[in-house]
Parts: sequence; C-alpha cells; structure tokens
Amino acid sequence: MNKEKSFLRNVIGEYMTTLGEKNENVVIVNADLAGTCRNTSFVEKYPDRAFNVGIAEQNMVSFAAGLSVEGFIPYAFSMAPFLTMRALEQCRTDVAYGNRNVKLMGVYAGVTGGISGATHWAVEDCGIMTSVPGMSVFEVSDAILARKLMDYTLEKEGPTYIRIGVEPTENIYNEDISVCTGGSVLAKDGEDGMILCSGVVVQYALEAAKRLRENYGKQIGVVDMYSIKPIDETAIEKAAATGHILVAQDHVEHGGLGMQVANVLVKKGLQTRFSYVGLPDRFVPMAHAPYLYHEFHLDGEGLAAEMLKLWE
Amino acid sequence: MHQMTVRELEKAAKDIRIRLLTLCNKETIHIGGDLSSADIMTVLWQYQMNYDPDHIHSEDRDRFILSKGHASAVTSFNQAAIGCFDAEDVIAEYATDEGRFSMHSCNLVNPYVEVSTGSLGHGLPIACGIAAGLRLKGNYTSRVYTVMGDGEQSEGSIWEAAMNAVHYQLGNLVALVDFNGLESDGTIDEITGLKNIADKYRAFGWNTIELDGHHIGQIKEAFDGLPPADSKVPTVFVCHTVKGKGVPFMENQRRWHAGKISDEQLKESIELLEKEFEGGGSHE
Repeated sequence: MNKEKSFLRNVIGEYMTTLGEKNENVVIVNADLAGTCRNTSFVEKYPDRAFNVGIAEQNMVSFAAGLSVEGFIPYAFSMAPFLTMRALEQCRTDVAYGNRNVKLMGVYAGVTGGISGATHWAVEDCGIMTSVPGMSVFEVSDAILARKLMDYTLEKEGPTYIRIGVEPTENIYNEDISVCTGGSVLAKDGEDGMILCSGVVVQYALEAAKRLRENYGKQIGVVDMYSIKPIDETAIEKAAATGHILVAQDHVEHGGLGMQVANVLVKKGLQTRFSYVGLPDRFVPMAHAPYLYHEFHLDGEGLAAEMLKLWE
Repeated sequence: MHQMTVRELEKAAKDIRIRLLTLCNKETIHIGGDLSSADIMTVLWQYQMNYDPDHIHSEDRDRFILSKGHASAVTSFNQAAIGCFDAEDVIAEYATDEGRFSMHSCNLVNPYVEVSTGSLGHGLPIACGIAAGLRLKGNYTSRVYTVMGDGEQSEGSIWEAAMNAVHYQLGNLVALVDFNGLESDGTIDEITGLKNIADKYRAFGWNTIELDGHHIGQIKEAFDGLPPADSKVPTVFVCHTVKGKGVPFMENQRRWHAGKISDEQLKESIELLEKEFEGGGSHE
C-alpha cells in the first residue's frame, strides 16, 4: 500500500488525455472550469475535441447531450453543485431521459470545497442524482480506483455521474482491484463489523478500523461503496452478517449512502445493528474540510466512536 | 429538398391544419402553437429538410430538434406526410397509453424523434451540440434545424446557446422562432416585454431573417437563401405568426393554447380552410 496522497480531481482530469488516446470519440465540455477540473492537458492535446461553453452549466449539459447524439462520448466537467443543481433538469431530461452516453463529472463533491462554503459544496448530489431514472452514480476514493473507473466509463454506455472530491486522499489500492457497475471494494476485511463508505471518507474509515483494533481489539472491515447506484447488495449482505454496520459519507444523511444501504437492509430483511453518519440537515458555515469532518464525526476518531456506539 | 411549388405547399399546410383539427376533435392538443407553426413546419419538413424516412440514421440527414416540444402533433403530421408513418396512426394512437404520439415528442416510443423534448429552453442548446458534433465528424453538409417558441425565449439557456452557436461558428444551425406573441399567461408584451427578438439575435451575431410565418412563399424563399451548411454564422428565422392561425375563433386567443373542439367546430373550420385554399390562398 502506497501511503502517498493524491488529489483525485488531478488524477481524473489528467487521465482524460489517456482516455482521449484510447478512444477518439472522447470529447470534453467545460463551463469555464477546465483549470479547476484539471483537464487542461486534454484541452491542449485535443483542442478540436474540447469545448468550453463559458459559465453556462445548463448549456454545457445540453451541448454534451447533443454531441452524444452524434456518437461522441462527452465528459462534461464542472463543480458538482453547479452540475447537479443548476443543470439538474438538463442532466435528467437531456441526458437521462434520452439515455445519452454522457459522463457528468462533478468536482468539489461533499464539503471538500471547505472554505468556499455551501455554494461550492455538493452535499445533496447523491440524493439528487440517484433519484434520476437510469443514472449511474459513482464516487472515487483513490487514484487507482479513479483511473480504473475512468477506463470503465469507456466500456459502460449510458448516463453517468461521478462525484469527485478535492481534498487529498491516501492511496489505498493496488492495481489488482477491478471496477464495475454495482461493484464495491473490500478495502479491509473484518469480522466484528463493517464500515460502508465512499469517497474521501474511505481513508478515515481505515483509520477508524485501525483505532478500534488497537484500542478495543475489534476487527472492523471497510467496504468502499464506490458504485452508489446501482449499489452492491451482496456487499451489504456480507456486511450485515458481521452484525454491525456503520455507513459514512461526505453528504447530508438524507438521500446519501446511509439511506441507500438502509433501504437494502430493510428490503432484504437483514438483521444487524446499524447506524449512519453524514452531514446534518442544516447549512453549515464555511470551514476547512478536515475541521468539518471532525465536527460531524466523519474523521477516524469520529467514525471509531460512532462504530463503538453499535455495541452500546 | 423536395420539388414542391408554393401552391402545393399551401395545400400541404392546409391538409396539416385539417389533420390537426381532426385530432383536436378527438383529444386535447396544443392546437394554438401547432397552428401558428403549421406553415413553417410544413415547408421545413415537406420541402426543405433532407430526411429519408427509410434511412433515419443516415449520416447525411438533416437533424430536427423540436425545442417547443408541445408542437408535437404538427411535427408528427408532417412526418406522416413524408412517409414516416400514417397520419391515421397519429390520430389513432395520440394520447393513448401505448401510443407513439402524445402531448410532447418522446423518442422512447417514436424513433423519428431525434431528441425527446417538452421542457422549454433545451432544444437550441442540444442543437448546438449536434451541430458542433457534425463539424467534428467532418460532416459539413447536414444542417440542424430547431423550432422554438417565443415565450421560450425567456429561458436563460436559450441565450447561453445563442452565444455559443456564434462562438463555435455553427453555420449549419438554423433556428426558427414561432413568434405568435402569446404565451401561457398572456401576451409576450404583458409577461416579459420580449419585443425585439430579431434585434436580440442580431446583437448576438446571428444571421437574422424576419419573415411572415404564414407566407409560404416567403418561408420557402428564406430556406432557398440559406447560407451553405459549411458557412460560419448560424441563422435564425424570426417568424411572425398568429396563434391559432386559420381557425378564426382560435386566432390570438390565449385559451386555445391547448384544447379540444366540437364536431360542429371541426366541420365549420374545415369548410373555411378549404374555402380559403380554393380562393387562392392568401399568399399566391
């Protein structure tokens, strides 16, 4: 395991040139945030295949839908809040209703926008995008996973939303992982309980598992639920078999990963102690992301404490 | 492009109106905007567009996006007129639970619909993406046509796309605005004061043509005069029209945005349309 950290928006933005080499139909549509989304290397390498519609997210998504009508594979990049909220109807009607092969790439997922404040956070995007019929939703936690997911988007046709944080994340995986729709990665096995999580939180869950082992002798596993929708129901069943599930995501609790997992537990009638943590049902003032993760029990210390509550 | 005279197109437009009214006697349709756009749609589909119903995915076809998605009936009847399906099918299936035709255009059930529409302000931005995609593929001969409403011009996304089309030099894009002056809640003047649509497009850098949207000869001439598809400036036709055109009790009446007519109204309206046509039409 490589302990260096990666910035996933850089990993994904820069990997676009590789996708561009692999498939000549790959095109990018930006809305004046090519730099922020770190895809300028593609723009420079393939200027004809890179469009920038200006600060006009609605137009960006519709324009991308139009390019897909002509057989291109557009990757539309913006900040997650603008992409999933300002241009939501375009994502839903022009991309999903039309079953277009458009990849919606949202950076600044969760509260990773930190000191920019709620205007630049996307703490509702999973709830929003998972409710759109036919939309696949993914969240990346690690550089290798991110590259594999990007490769996978070339194989998997259809409306896709990928949420990408901007906080540095620890490198977790080796090249032996694989990625698919409805998949997950067992980041760490454990027989006493499981933390189901995604994105930036996965690294904190691993830290929590370490604390719980060292301080309490509990063997806690971590499952990276990178496919938010469809969700890996088998992984949830396996986790339920441990008797203790904590779900954690950088997202408001409503509509987030916790509710998605709860839904599977109830539908399948699975018996387990269960809880989930996320951001509260109120707007929170701007602050650095690590401060917010600590405040809302999404860091290693907080997750360990939340997990222990399942034994109370 | 199909060889048709002005007179033949006037007859075609009259037939479209009769189809619309026949359907409107059976189901509620967006009759006001269907009738206001009937002439421009007829000339577009039955004269201008390169579209082969037997090869609907052919690369060299012209693309059509119905930005004012509620004008689905007038689109379907024109597609029927060129052989996509039977006009009788449109009437039989319209607004039925498993039909191909309804209040808006949907490509889940109707493959002749390039893109599903209904929500306003989407067609022009999508058309821009298609137009840019054609260029990127090296297709410099196909055009992209989109028909918009005038009330729809209030959507900000229209103007995002209006900027974009000029910036990307999409001379293969032809937008038509059905400027009938009425939107859902009142006249355009009352609701938004959106008076000079043509001036606005001119200011954005479009090749802007104003015409009488019920003058078949003018419409045909405007299409004949289009700059080549490989040119660099997008074109907009600002078509001055009358909502409910051809049916006196509907003309300029807000309540006929959508509705249904009686047997008696149908009979009288058809007689009037036939009489007007026999009288030589208003624009020989």
